[in-house]
Amino acid sequence: MHEYSLAMGLVEALREELRRHPVNGRIAKVHVRQGELLVLSEEALQEAWRILTQGGELAGSELAIEKVAVRVRCGGCGYQGPVGYLSEQGWHFAVPVLRCPRCGGRVEVVEGRDLAIVGLSLEEQGSPT
Amino acid sequence: MPPRMHDIHLDAKDLFKRQLELAEHNYQRLKGRGVRAFNVMGAIGSGKTLLIVQMAQVLKARGVRVGAIAGDVAGDDDYRRFREAGLVAANLNTGDQCHLDAHGVGHVLEELPLNEIDVLFIENVGNLVCPADFPLGTDADVVVVSVTEGDDMVRKHPKIFAQTDVLAINKVDLAAFVGVDPHKLAEDYRKLNPHGKVVFTAARSGRGVDELLAHLGF
Repeated sequence: MHEYSLAMGLVEALREELRRHPVNGRIAKVHVRQGELLVLSEEALQEAWRILTQGGELAGSELAIEKVAVRVRCGGCGYQGPVGYLSEQGWHFAVPVLRCPRCGGRVEVVEGRDLAIVGLSLEEQGSPT
Repeated sequence: MPPRMHDIHLDAKDLFKRQLELAEHNYQRLKGRGVRAFNVMGAIGSGKTLLIVQMAQVLKARGVRVGAIAGDVAGDDDYRRFREAGLVAANLNTGDQCHLDAHGVGHVLEELPLNEIDVLFIENVGNLVCPADFPLGTDADVVVVSVTEGDDMVRKHPKIFAQTDVLAINKVDLAAFVGVDPHKLAEDYRKLNPHGKVVFTAARSGRGVDELLAHLGF
């Protein structure tokens, strides 16, 4: 349950970005990458975003969340890419196993813990009707 | 006619990268003082505090100086337990936040006399969900699960178990009383985290404490 503080972080990051690079038009969608290793509820993040953006320049904008799969780098054999998943009965969700799928070695996570705004969808003002 | 839309690319700061930077800052600060640190996570009542105290006693007998940070939502009960056990300690109340983060730990590191300790145990807030997302800058992460929580805890909180270095299955002396097979927890953990180490402990009697320390490199 840290969605609220993370949503606040996203709001601040975006406001900062908009101060440096103002955009033309109403922000309709905010595109976010969310790594699958993060323990975050998408609904709670959406709700926190809605509350935190009320009344400001981001009011009415919607989060469009894209889940990012885990990618790793193997310290042993140099493999880079996705991992295997544990999805047998009883595990409810497919869970990434942080092990090199090629040699079984120890890996470093290079993607899958991301949480960043990567783009905006703008409604153009004064667009021809 | 609907308004025309267009998409733009943004290169905003990744929030997780910010966490990693703060954690790296802590790590460098600790390394600079020659301190090895461990993030101890686990549910409320899993036995984190007593396990840390037991590890500290063994280390103290070997001439290793131990410090601890007691991370809790509120109160100073664990802090007092660490002090009573003779540890250099700091209390870190999160004020309703469900996990420690590198930023808060960084502030505590500024106050702790790091030159008086060799090892620092950071006891996280009792929670198996949120701490998984917040690296603190430690050498290794330990998760404590007690048999009294049930034999399905690894399946119920896979993400935290998938990302930790050592699992301490605690209160094994109570396993028969609560009808739990500790090996089931170990088996689930090994499937999920093939490089993780497993140790059976009973913090009250000190069972498994030496082995746990061995897995932490002592």
